Amino acid sequence: MAYSSEKTQEQRRGFLDPRTKLALVLILALLVMGGLGGNSLKPIKTALSALPFLLLLIEQQWKRFARGIAMLVIGYGLLFAMPYLPGTLNYIALLCGGILTRFVVTIVMGEYLISTTSVSEFISAMERLHMPQAITIPMSVMFRLFPTIGSEWRSIRRAMTMRGIHLGGARAGQVLEYQLVPMMTSTVRIGEELSASALTRGLGAPVRRTNICRIGFRVQDAVLLMGCLFVIAVWILELCGVNLW
Amino acid sequence: MKTDNKLKGRDLINIGIYGAIYFVILFAVAMLGMIPIFLPLLSVFVPILGGIPFMLFLTKVKKSGMIFIMAMIMGILMLLTGMGPWPLLTCAIAGILAELCFKSGNYRNAKKAVLSYGLFSMWIFGNYLPLFTDYDGYFAQRADYGQAYIDAVQKLMPLWMAPVLLAACFVCGILGGLLGRAILKKHFEKAGLA
Amino acid sequence: MVELKNISFRYGSEERQDYGENSLSGIDLIIHDGEFVLLTGPSGCGKTTILRLINGLIPHFYSGSVDGEVLIEGKAVSSQELYDTALKVGTVFQNPRSQFYNVDTTGELAFGCENRGLPEEQIYKRIDDTVTRFSIEKLMDRSIFHLSDGEKQKIACASVDVSGPDIILLDEPSANLDYEATLALRELILEWRRQGKTIIAAEHRIAYLWDLIDRAVIMRNGRIICELRGDETNTLTQNVLAEMGLRSTIQESPSSISLPLFLEGDEPLTLKGFRLTYSGAKEPVVNISDLTLAAGEIMAITGANGAGKTSLLSCICGLEKRCKGALVFKEKTYSRKNRQKLCFMVMQDTGNQLFTESVLEEVLISLPKNTENEKDRAEEILRALDLEPFLERHPQSLSGGQKQRLAIACALASGRRVLLLDEPTSGLDYAHMMETANLLKQLQCMGTTILVVTHDSELIHACCTRQYDLEYLNCQH
Repeated sequence: MAYSSEKTQEQRRGFLDPRTKLALVLILALLVMGGLGGNSLKPIKTALSALPFLLLLIEQQWKRFARGIAMLVIGYGLLFAMPYLPGTLNYIALLCGGILTRFVVTIVMGEYLISTTSVSEFISAMERLHMPQAITIPMSVMFRLFPTIGSEWRSIRRAMTMRGIHLGGARAGQVLEYQLVPMMTSTVRIGEELSASALTRGLGAPVRRTNICRIGFRVQDAVLLMGCLFVIAVWILELCGVNLW
Repeated sequence: MKTDNKLKGRDLINIGIYGAIYFVILFAVAMLGMIPIFLPLLSVFVPILGGIPFMLFLTKVKKSGMIFIMAMIMGILMLLTGMGPWPLLTCAIAGILAELCFKSGNYRNAKKAVLSYGLFSMWIFGNYLPLFTDYDGYFAQRADYGQAYIDAVQKLMPLWMAPVLLAACFVCGILGGLLGRAILKKHFEKAGLA
Repeated sequence: MVELKNISFRYGSEERQDYGENSLSGIDLIIHDGEFVLLTGPSGCGKTTILRLINGLIPHFYSGSVDGEVLIEGKAVSSQELYDTALKVGTVFQNPRSQFYNVDTTGELAFGCENRGLPEEQIYKRIDDTVTRFSIEKLMDRSIFHLSDGEKQKIACASVDVSGPDIILLDEPSANLDYEATLALRELILEWRRQGKTIIAAEHRIAYLWDLIDRAVIMRNGRIICELRGDETNTLTQNVLAEMGLRSTIQESPSSISLPLFLEGDEPLTLKGFRLTYSGAKEPVVNISDLTLAAGEIMAITGANGAGKTSLLSCICGLEKRCKGALVFKEKTYSRKNRQKLCFMVMQDTGNQLFTESVLEEVLISLPKNTENEKDRAEEILRALDLEPFLERHPQSLSGGQKQRLAIACALASGRRVLLLDEPTSGLDYAHMMETANLLKQLQCMGTTILVVTHDSELIHACCTRQYDLEYLNCQH
């Protein structure tokens, strides 16, 4: 037998289970960006902030890694430069720097989740988390349509160039309308055909859907999930007034 | 055609189609918001531009639950893109309010549709919540950035900005709803989409 | 067995009580197990509507008023849910871009089985079986965005095959396919024939399956006008076919037509240094160092899918920033930016190049600024293209052929002298194909140079005067 779909599904499996990634995004958003937790969590937060960068390196996402680092450098750079800048620039640098340094870690984690998780992996994880079809079906349609919307958009932009309609021309005010309306029209049309095709293949049947995509917890997932539990435990202890260090 | 009130495959796919368009617009505007000074403007541009796909979406909504699911999905996507769990909460509240509002007009009243979108748009406020939930705590943590930083941020994002941003979401939502109605009449109805 | 009993149907909405004209009237049709039936006839004859009645999309997805009954193995389709019908009926649709639910090919093959909750091991087995029988190992584990239309259509067929329905419906599956891909599709259909599946195909391009069918059902205006057994199909002459609005039954590779590229006395239009490589690709998709075409002619550009025909058109139009190159026409050299004002391309998705709210407005924005009597000029152009009755219509509500005419009207209004068309006749019936051919001839008389990328041999015979075959020339270089 030359081709085995089972084997290739196993090979395509990611480093982490999507559910682990989801747990990490949540913890990071709560603690690092949300600013929950007091002093006893500070060292943990520093460690957590490094995690998404480490994961990007493990999955060899060099470009995204570089972009994340760049945002971080710019953010801290602005904060550093701030006292030496005059008047309003000072404020702007301050605000940009403050928000950048705050958001960057969770945004990098979000990027990691999105760039390393295939749509079927994600849907499979949602199904195992017992999300209802009312959530998983619309979300899978959305992920399917994003690239389509992108390519329709590009095709419309090209058509506009050809028709000689430019930003800054006499009809600049209408340019946005000219772009949005055909984009939406063709996306809706494609979406309708997509749903006709999906429905004739039994989407929405009241059975438990299966999924050929391979996911599941392995050692690395266990370690990271334990880490998450540990962080939550420290946080709860702190709320109860116990300080570990 | 049978009109039972359970959501079927087709309704769920419709949520996906319009949700995708709405999210792309949201995302494009949020790219502007990456320059943080524009952050407050999210509550202006997203509701206005998002009104176009949302009004078209409402023409497909005939059963209860569709608006609420749309809102929850936006919440989940915010969570995935690292905006934290607060939008989930505001999405749930805004989704229920919008749902009830449109339902009270039997899913076909145009004025209720605009109002419903105004209510729906209030979920966007959830993206600002982490700034405001623990205002003093937030600044206490950043004490090492220096007093100048704290003064500056408190000047640009004072606590009273919270209700202002919430109101901006709602008002711009209404404006977006009206814009959406206008485009619906001008284009989509004639094109046979609505 | 599929039975249609005295079916009449009108599209429209029950809620608003507005229905269109009858799409089907009084259709009686019985299709036996293992039979291969071809439904054919001009656009709008109702063949696609019949397929939608059988797979249950009518009335569950497209609303309208149905009289009569559609039965599959004695059970009414209208009273069972779509996911139950899906167990027995599989459908391959026309548009390869919009029928995939997944973004990867393997996931797409598994989709039908996943929906009905088959265990994973069984799905793997079924996929491997289909992959072997269809010989599509090379297409597995790929992103669907990197497949050609022909490959996508193979995956669509394979996806239906994995689910294993007894009845297979084909809704103009060849509309976007070139000659080679159509032959490959024919092989897949043969494979289903061997397994004894019931096949019902709605098609304009009938040549590739004309000798395979058990029965041809020819329709017009929602009625069946003629039924032929497989052994009677040879009795129809090409003229009778044309009269019934049908395409030719003769398979002919467009590359084999070989019209001249350039004749003595032709006015030259020269392309110099056109070269385009997509990022990530090793070989350039367009690579022309010096090529002279004939201006003022209708030039067919042929070659298999993926030979770079569409990319070549984009380069000529000046839409590809990375493709420099120069075009020499009437002793004037046009750079990329200038070509944008000289050339106009009618794209395959014509809907994406129409922006305004009415047909008239669409032409008005194309006219050069400060045109005198703008409105009269616009109406004059629209009249010449038979679009006058639609002045106030929304461009997106026009049919495919009408959108094409409108795009051409815009090209004329903006005074472009080189017109490029990308597969203008895919999915068109005989009459509409001839309309396009006549329109191109009319434009040629007005002095327009026309380049048309096509895999439609009939269109080439009907109007083209020169031919540029990409593969043939690439081999020579």
